[in-house]
Amino acid sequence: MSRGFKMPDWKRIVRTNFRVLGVCSPEFTEELAAHLEDSYEALLCEGLPAEVAFEHTLGQIEGRCKVWLVMRFLQEELMTGFIHKVALPGLLTSAAACFFYWTLELDHIRHKVIWLLGGQLPLWWWCLLPICGVLGAILSRRNGGSRLQRIAASLLPSAILGTAVVLIFVVGFTISGFVNHYQLVFARLESLGLVPPGFALIPAVFSLLGAGIAEVSTKEFPRLA
Amino acid sequence: MASVTAQIKRGSAELAVLTLLAEHTLHGYEIAKQIEAQTGGVLHFDMASLYPMLHRLERKSWVKAQWQTLPNGRRRRCYRLTASGRKQIAPLCAQWRAFFQALQSVTGFQNA
Repeated sequence: MSRGFKMPDWKRIVRTNFRVLGVCSPEFTEELAAHLEDSYEALLCEGLPAEVAFEHTLGQIEGRCKVWLVMRFLQEELMTGFIHKVALPGLLTSAAACFFYWTLELDHIRHKVIWLLGGQLPLWWWCLLPICGVLGAILSRRNGGSRLQRIAASLLPSAILGTAVVLIFVVGFTISGFVNHYQLVFARLESLGLVPPGFALIPAVFSLLGAGIAEVSTKEFPRLA
Repeated sequence: MASVTAQIKRGSAELAVLTLLAEHTLHGYEIAKQIEAQTGGVLHFDMASLYPMLHRLERKSWVKAQWQTLPNGRRRRCYRLTASGRKQIAPLCAQWRAFFQALQSVTGFQNA
């Protein structure tokens, strides 16, 4: 209680409204709550009734303001040190995944791996994805990436894959001469278990699983990071 | 007074904040209010533009933030300018001066 009015619990309100910012830093929510507290108090000092001041203050974090605030925070968080903390770990992970995939495509290795994994080609492909996710997250963490950046680094290979496939489809549809080629690509993707719309979303989910594994394991064993 | 466009606001915001912090250590709400007051409301910071920018400046090591307990007992994250941040002010001012001079030479308006 201060100056005869009861201060709303802005920390709780901000935490409830901005759970997603927890992936950035807990300090963000505390700082926003402090701003709202000052803003609310200033409105009361201007003579506004408590209810009006509360609604007015709350308006700063509701609706379009809320969406904009979250987007700006996530954008800043993601783009700060993007090259070292997201792009490089993500691209290294993609390169490692491509190399691993190419190696497994070599006939003599492929047969052994298929034999080891019970003869299911898509199965080992899917097994790669969480490993990629783990690798991206750990590399990002080593470069000081935040939780959001670690997740982004894990998802980058899936994003690249998704973008590439979408581009192939677009080119295939746009240029009539490519229609046959598009059908070949589509058939090839299908043989790998990459059937639209899952070609990007499902790998992303598996990669995210890997990021989660990395998160848990590096919490328990901080020296890994 | 005419309002300025979002892009110009964004570009000038860093300079305004750095210049303000060169004189005082302030927390976010104070920064927003003081800039608004000093510019007659032309530069108005909402939370979505102010705090992400402050955190960006902090990551660049141009400002340093520290939680402080104010005389009223409340904790606020106060920002102060670092030596590195102080060095940025002159080049940023020079860039803006050059920009306005260029604009003035094209449009011919005064007091840019």
